[in-house]
Amino acid sequence: MYSILKPCRTTAAFEAVPRERLSLDLDRCEEILGPVCTIVANAGVLLVVKDRCEVSLHRDGRLVLKTDSEELAREQAGRIANWLEGTPAVKSNRRQGPAAGYRPM
Amino acid sequence: MKLVSLISGGIDSPVAAYLMARRGVELVAVHMDNRPFTDEKNLEKAAKLVKRLEEVTGHPIRSYVVAHGPNHVAFARNCRRNLHCLFCRRMMYRIAERIAREEGADGILTGENLGQVASQTLQNLEVVNQAVKVPVVRPLIGFDKVEIIGVARRIGTYEISTLPGLCCTIVPEKPSTAARLGDVVSEEGKVPIDALVEESLEGMHVLDPQAV
Repeated sequence: MYSILKPCRTTAAFEAVPRERLSLDLDRCEEILGPVCTIVANAGVLLVVKDRCEVSLHRDGRLVLKTDSEELAREQAGRIANWLEGTPAVKSNRRQGPAAGYRPM
Repeated sequence: MKLVSLISGGIDSPVAAYLMARRGVELVAVHMDNRPFTDEKNLEKAAKLVKRLEEVTGHPIRSYVVAHGPNHVAFARNCRRNLHCLFCRRMMYRIAERIAREEGADGILTGENLGQVASQTLQNLEVVNQAVKVPVVRPLIGFDKVEIIGVARRIGTYEISTLPGLCCTIVPEKPSTAARLGDVVSEEGKVPIDALVEESLEGMHVLDPQAV
């Protein structure tokens, strides 16, 4: 469901980019993910949760997955998508781009 | 002379520390721990860098770790987004200033240099300076990246600084390059600065470079 790529040369993390433009309501994400993940921090502009690995959720839908395992990153991105897709926490930004969803991996 | 050296885990700060140690300055290293907006690898890199600096300077370096993540949360939730890097740096300076006083140090030492990143314009550096009263020493201010990397390679810190580590994830998309002090101070009024500094210092602990 995601496109996974290394965010930069020196990092030990992967970035999952939504297939189409999204906006995440991070407070709602916190409510939804709270029962299934550990909420590490909600900075308003960024929500950090811990499941199989630590994940930063950005308001534009991007995920930063803190692991050097691409397999784990793909699995974790899929789990987050399953929990959030179709909920009020995810909004499509159709005026700025195509419909909601995540880019296939 | 004794200086509190802010060691980030990147390329610049250990080079700045080395250059001043070479001039006879005694160092106290402080790593601001940005987790959960970075990862634990940056802390490991900071410890390795201090260890390497001890080797290359021939002197032990007292080292501390300060949790900076809660400060990021407070600023991100309450203050103007494009000024975030200014709030971050001013907070680091305040904490370093307090440590300097407790350690009997004469000032703060950083790896900042002009124009390399958005927060390091002359105007922004002046705004950051205004957060503290102690001198801020920036031996790399006129260096370009190639020169800094050259020194880093020579002293054996480059290989450590470029190990994998997550960049700060809470950096704003469009950081201010020409902040006005009045705006920054006004925004900082929305968070309890003094309490945040105290909480940061209460959680401070010793970084043992020999443990890495």
